Amino acid sequence: MKSLKNHISVIIPLFILLFSFEFVLNLDRIVKNYEESLFDDYSIVIASMTTLNENSLKKEIPLVRKLQPLSTKKVIDKFKNDFSPANLALLRTSLPKFYSIKLKYPPDEKTLEEIERKLRAIPSITKVETFEKSYTKIYTILNFAKTISNIFTIFIFVISILLIFKQMEIWTLEHQERMYIMGLFGSPFWMKSAVLYKLVFIDSIISALGVGAIYYFVPKTEKFKQIMDSIGLSFGNVDFIDDMIILFSISIFITIFSVTLVILRQRTELK
Amino acid sequence: MDKIIIHAQKLQLSYKKGEPVIKNSSFSIHKNDFVFITGKSGSGKSTLIRSLYGELPLESGHLNVCGIDLKNISKQRLNVLRKHIGVIFQDYKLIKEWTVEKNVMLPLMIAGYSKNVCTMQAHKLLKHVKLLHKADKHPLELSGGEQQRIAIARALAHNPILILADEPTGNLDEYSSEVIWDLLKGAHQHLGTTIVIVTHKIPSTLGINYKHYFLDGGVINEVS
Repeated sequence: MKSLKNHISVIIPLFILLFSFEFVLNLDRIVKNYEESLFDDYSIVIASMTTLNENSLKKEIPLVRKLQPLSTKKVIDKFKNDFSPANLALLRTSLPKFYSIKLKYPPDEKTLEEIERKLRAIPSITKVETFEKSYTKIYTILNFAKTISNIFTIFIFVISILLIFKQMEIWTLEHQERMYIMGLFGSPFWMKSAVLYKLVFIDSIISALGVGAIYYFVPKTEKFKQIMDSIGLSFGNVDFIDDMIILFSISIFITIFSVTLVILRQRTELK
Repeated sequence: MDKIIIHAQKLQLSYKKGEPVIKNSSFSIHKNDFVFITGKSGSGKSTLIRSLYGELPLESGHLNVCGIDLKNISKQRLNVLRKHIGVIFQDYKLIKEWTVEKNVMLPLMIAGYSKNVCTMQAHKLLKHVKLLHKADKHPLELSGGEQQRIAIARALAHNPILILADEPTGNLDEYSSEVIWDLLKGAHQHLGTTIVIVTHKIPSTLGINYKHYFLDGGVINEVS
């Protein structure tokens, strides 16, 4: 019973720490995915009196990824019944050429202003629409959410580390007498501490597996999928094995670091 | 002349610098000696024995135990020394979370013997101290006398050259004390182990030749 309590005292803070870390990791993925989908939909629309060349535009503005002509067919079709064929033909020739510009990465406000300035400097371009406000607003909200969760995780990280340290101290005190007696008979450091390392290794595996299981199974539930679909969010492609390796590595590093530090500190005090 | 197991020269020991508990003491203990160190309470008996297994660093002088110089000894070298000696404490110092059998196996485990060898040797010693039937018990389930017999079995497990005993019968009744003296005597006579015992009273019915040192005012004097 006491041993179970001892294990739980390490597993819980470790679990919370890993859970928060994985939360940040996944939130980051969601934000990135959302950002990408937003960016995929995002384009600058321009109207030009002459045909534009993609390569020469790329030379002028290196951030341009793609220049895509927009069809004017829909506009002309609207007037099909009201205009004579001769007038429609005239309209077709006098309409400017519309293009959508896709960029290489999401621009900030300053870059966007710079792009707009360069586009307006091209004599044939008569109209530039950057949809600046609607894009940057969502982008700012997403980044804000990310920052809040990161700050929150730092707090959780600090508290969890303190709790783990406390538990390691309790463990070391519990094992102090045994380690001291073993030392009196010439036991090397690794042999005296082996039990503690074994304990933290087991707890690290349990915590990492627990967190991994939650993040593996919960996104697969119908309810979760429905919620994510309804708000248009997704995790994207997640490699579960990679995540497990990260979680286990963090968990092992923190626990082994804490136990070593506590043992060394107590050893120095005993000297 | 027999080989010297412990050699102290102008040994000075203290807990606080400048306040020596053992002052400028020189003595030699030879192989196969059975030695009693007596003295009043607070005379430094335990301090002396602690320095012999390297728990207390030397303030000055020289101390050589089993061929190892204890002055400025490294942790690794100290472990080597401790593998050659067996220590018995007044408070037994058994690991209470471990079974009696595992406690006896401790020095053998440290020496790197296989589990089978450790178990065999532990059973042999437990039989010798008449506690084989309690091999699976934990120390706190045993009486004081029984715990000290386990401590003796542990001290003998790795056939040490030297056994250091700090008030081994200090907490025991007369009957248990006799059993402990018999065991130590047996180890000395049959295994040729050098035995150094710190005690406040030498048993009157020991029946063997022994050396007696008396600690007085921080100085060690040979009595017989």
